[in-house]
Order: sequence, then structure tokens, then C-alpha cells
Amino acid sequence: MKKYLFFDPEKCSACGACQLACMDQNDVDASTGAQPFRFTFTQEGRGGDLHFYSVSCMHCADAPCVMGCPSGCLTKSEEGFTLYDTTRCIGCHSCAMACPYGIPSFGPDGKMVKCDACYERQKAGLVPACVKVCPTGALTLLTETELKERQQARQRSRSQTMLKEFAV
Amino acid sequence: MERFAIIGFGCAGYHALEAIRETDKEARVDVYSDTALPPYNPMLTTYYVAGRLPYEGLFPFGTLEDIAQRLDAHIITNTKVTAVKAGERTVVLSDGREERYDKLLVSTGATAFVPGSFADLKRAFCMRTVDDAVALHDALERREYKDAVIVGASMVGIKVAELLYKRGCHVTLADMAPHIFALAAYPEVSEMIEDRLRNMGIDLAFGQAIAGAEEHDDGTTTVKLADGSSIDTELLVLNIGTRAATGILSPDEVTVERGIVVNDHMETSVPGIYAAGDCCQGNNLQSGQTQIIGLWANAGTQGRAAGRNMAGAMGESDGNILHNITHFLDMDFIGLGDNRLTGEVKTFRSEDGGFYLQAVLKDGKPVGFNILDNYGVSGILKAYLIKVLRGERPVFSAEQRGQLVRFGLSENFIDELGAAL
Repeated sequence: MKKYLFFDPEKCSACGACQLACMDQNDVDASTGAQPFRFTFTQEGRGGDLHFYSVSCMHCADAPCVMGCPSGCLTKSEEGFTLYDTTRCIGCHSCAMACPYGIPSFGPDGKMVKCDACYERQKAGLVPACVKVCPTGALTLLTETELKERQQARQRSRSQTMLKEFAV
Repeated sequence: MERFAIIGFGCAGYHALEAIRETDKEARVDVYSDTALPPYNPMLTTYYVAGRLPYEGLFPFGTLEDIAQRLDAHIITNTKVTAVKAGERTVVLSDGREERYDKLLVSTGATAFVPGSFADLKRAFCMRTVDDAVALHDALERREYKDAVIVGASMVGIKVAELLYKRGCHVTLADMAPHIFALAAYPEVSEMIEDRLRNMGIDLAFGQAIAGAEEHDDGTTTVKLADGSSIDTELLVLNIGTRAATGILSPDEVTVERGIVVNDHMETSVPGIYAAGDCCQGNNLQSGQTQIIGLWANAGTQGRAAGRNMAGAMGESDGNILHNITHFLDMDFIGLGDNRLTGEVKTFRSEDGGFYLQAVLKDGKPVGFNILDNYGVSGILKAYLIKVLRGERPVFSAEQRGQLVRFGLSENFIDELGAAL
């Protein structure tokens, strides 16, 4: 069954809880220069308006990193997550050049690391660490039906906003 | 039941087979290979020689037995296809047998080019095939080389240089081109890399032809340069380039230039005959022309598109651009786009000097990037360049912008890349 690690920027406050939970779950040792798999940041719009984001692997349906890896380290799971086994990773950084979001990073051993949607946790019936700690519900793990409902709801909300603007 | 043939079993051939099986479980697929090896990745050869990958690691899709079972293929090994009669969709084998198919894929790859002046050498090494890798690997196991000359300052050449340098061997890198990575790097960026290499003690002999080489009875080789000078060495490795393996097709039947010319469906000028991978010229988004873009991922997407079309499902290879990432001697070089295109040059150097970026813009639009030591921004800028070339709205998404800043690019510089668009 397909699953989606869904991010709703309208609910995010870039509090960083997800980033910390991810580092903890994945034993990311920042003191060695290792990068967290999830990254939160705030962007300021031209009018001074603030926008909040939490970014990690998008688990693209046709993930270019899978085709880009010369060693066959990256695969797609049945659920749609982009997983990896870096036994044969040569640290060539090809996956990084393939990724349109700058996600793959490389640990102290030179091998690729990134978000795997806490696949082991999911296999044990748990949600990913970032989802578990997100205090606003910006990060959720959805089924395909739930994702479609979310997207339709968002579309309806946007349409209503537009109608209101036109009415004015 | 349809009958398909795949001639040549590398990255493109494998992905074509996989794609055929996505939609057609019944068809008979004959895969011809002139070796008994599973599909291998030429890019991994230097990693095997360096001891960073076991022999099995050269074969990212597993063994032939696994592949044959998993994808229900008839893999015909150690069998040379001598010709394809395109009009008749017929494969001619070295023993004279002929097999007729409904659709054929030519995925024969490319072979290392060795000029005539080097053809008689007995002790020179190349670096393209598994046999090449095993030969150099075993030679390095047998003895310690004090010095080496590597001809060809390409992505392969630098990896050979790296592995020998790390073994304590004195390396001279030679090339007819005036600079390293001549097909991907801007001259200023090449010079930065060259300075670093010289500082490590690697000698560079660029800008002059290699006239020939002479092997001596004491095991040494004299490499002669066009200016009359020469270099004596214990080890000579040739990485002069590759040539598309197109010989099984007749140019009278099928359009062949440097490679086999294909459309977006990976079909050649003859219906039913497809080509993919390093042997073919697919669409270059930047030039609008067809061109060989000999890269692993490109071969994969082309093979997949070919396989889908052969099986009757629509599949397009959506074109590509020249792009390269090479991680060597603790640095990264990334080249995106055709480095021959000139225009307004914008440069960015991070405050800590940790990375350097050179962008070339034409009419306000980026046409190419060179990046030193920052893999983090490479994929975002590549996706951006492709977006610009496709005529899509050239904006970075919020996520991409956040990541560019995270990896050290300034907001101002990001704005400059899109300001004129």
C-alpha cells in the first residue's frame, strides 16, 4: 500500500523538533560534520511575511537518484519510499547531482545517507520520528486516500479564498 | 507472442529489459552479450582497482542467473552479433546464423579508443572494461610502480591518477587539450584544479599531442610528446576517449553519425530498430541536436524509454544536458551544460572559501555551471538549468531555495541567477 510522508507548510513553524528527532533517531553526530537528514528553515517574503519549512527526501515517485546511483544502492519500496543499502556505495556523489532538492549527504565514512522515512520504525508499526514529534501536525504519514482528501481540501480552500478575493 | 532482441547488455540493455517486463510478461526477449559477465558499470572499474569495491561490486544488477530468472530473459552469452539487417529486423551471428525479431534494441555501448600510434604496445593499460580493471588491479598487486603516465585528463583519467597517487606512485597526467576536464570545465576552473594537483606533486603535461610510446626491454616505456620531449615511465595508462560501438549497423540503412541517431522514443531512422546508451545520439536539450551523452544515468533512462516503446507502452527519453560530477582527491568538480557556450560570467566564492561556483548566462539565462567542492547545490542547479532549457517557469521552489542557502549560496546570488528571467 502506497504511503506518503506529507508536509503541510501552512501548519509548520520551523520549530526544529522534527530535525532534532530525526538526528536522534538516526544517530546523526553533528560534531563529526554529519548533516541532519531533515532541515527546517524560515524564509522571509518581499513584504516581510514569514514562511516556514521542513525539508527532507521527497521520496519522488520516479526518483532520479535511483537511476543516478552507479552501484545500485538506491531502490524504491512497495510503499513508494526511496531506500538505500550503501554496502557498495563508492561516495561518488552522483546521487547528489541527480537530486533536485539537494538531499543526499555523506557521512564521515564517505557513504551516502538520507531520510528513509524511518522505514524500520514503520515496519514495527510506528510512525517516522519527525511525524511523531511534530507539534502542529505539519508532518504526517498518509495513505493514498488520505493524501487525495488532503489535496482536495487544500484545493477547495484555495478556491474559496480566490472567490472571496474576486468578490471584493 | 512478440519477439524482442537486446544486443549488448550494459546499463541501457538492462533497463530496457526491465521496462519491457513492466508491460509485457509474455514476449520472448533474447539478450545477446559478447561476454559471460552480468551488466557492469565502466565507471566502477577504477574503484575496483583502488580496492574500494569488491569484484562483485562491478555488477550493480546482480548475476546473470538472477537477472534471467527475475526478468524472464534468454541471455545468450559469449556470442558476437556481427550485423543487424535493419530492414529485415534480423540479427546475424558470428557463426552465420540469423534470427528475426519484431523489435530490436542496439545497446552496444562504447569502446576505449586507442590511436594507431599506441596500438602495438604490449604493456599499456586502458580503463573501460572489467578485463581492463582486472589487468591493472593484478599488475598493481604484483609490483610497486614508482611512476606512471596517464594519457587523457578526463573523469576516468583523474580517477586512475588518484588511485596511483594514493599508492605513493608519482603521476604525470598528459592530454592534448590545454586543460583538465576540457569537455566540462571552464578554463578558470580547470586552472584552479590544476594548481591543486601540482601542489600535491602531480605533474601535468597539457596542450600537446602524445606522439607515441616506445617499450623497452627493461620494462620501462618512453612516452614521446609532440614538442620533442619525452617522459620515461614504468606504467602507461591510456584513457584517450571512447567511440560508440555502432559497427553492427550499416550506415546505408540506419542513420549513424558519431553514434546511432535516435528520436525521443529511442527509435532509429528504421522503424522497429531502437538504440540506447553510449552507442547512441539522443536529444541534447541545450543544442536541440542529437549528441552522445555517455553517462550511466542517461543510459538508464534511454534504455527504459526504449524498452517501454518496444513493448507498446509510451515512453519518452525527455532529453538531457551534458553534466558530470567527479569526486577525486578530496574535491568535487561538477560541470553542468555545454562549457563551450560563452556569455556573462557570474562567480560566487563562499566566505570560508569552501566552495566556488561559476555561472555563465546568455541573455540573462543560465547556460552552464561549474562548481568546485559543493555537491549539495549541484542537483538543484542542474534541475534549474533543465527547467530553463525546457522553457518552464524558471523559479527555485521554497525547498530548493532553502537548501541552496543551507549549502552556502547567498540569497543575492540566487536572485541574480533568475533576475533577468
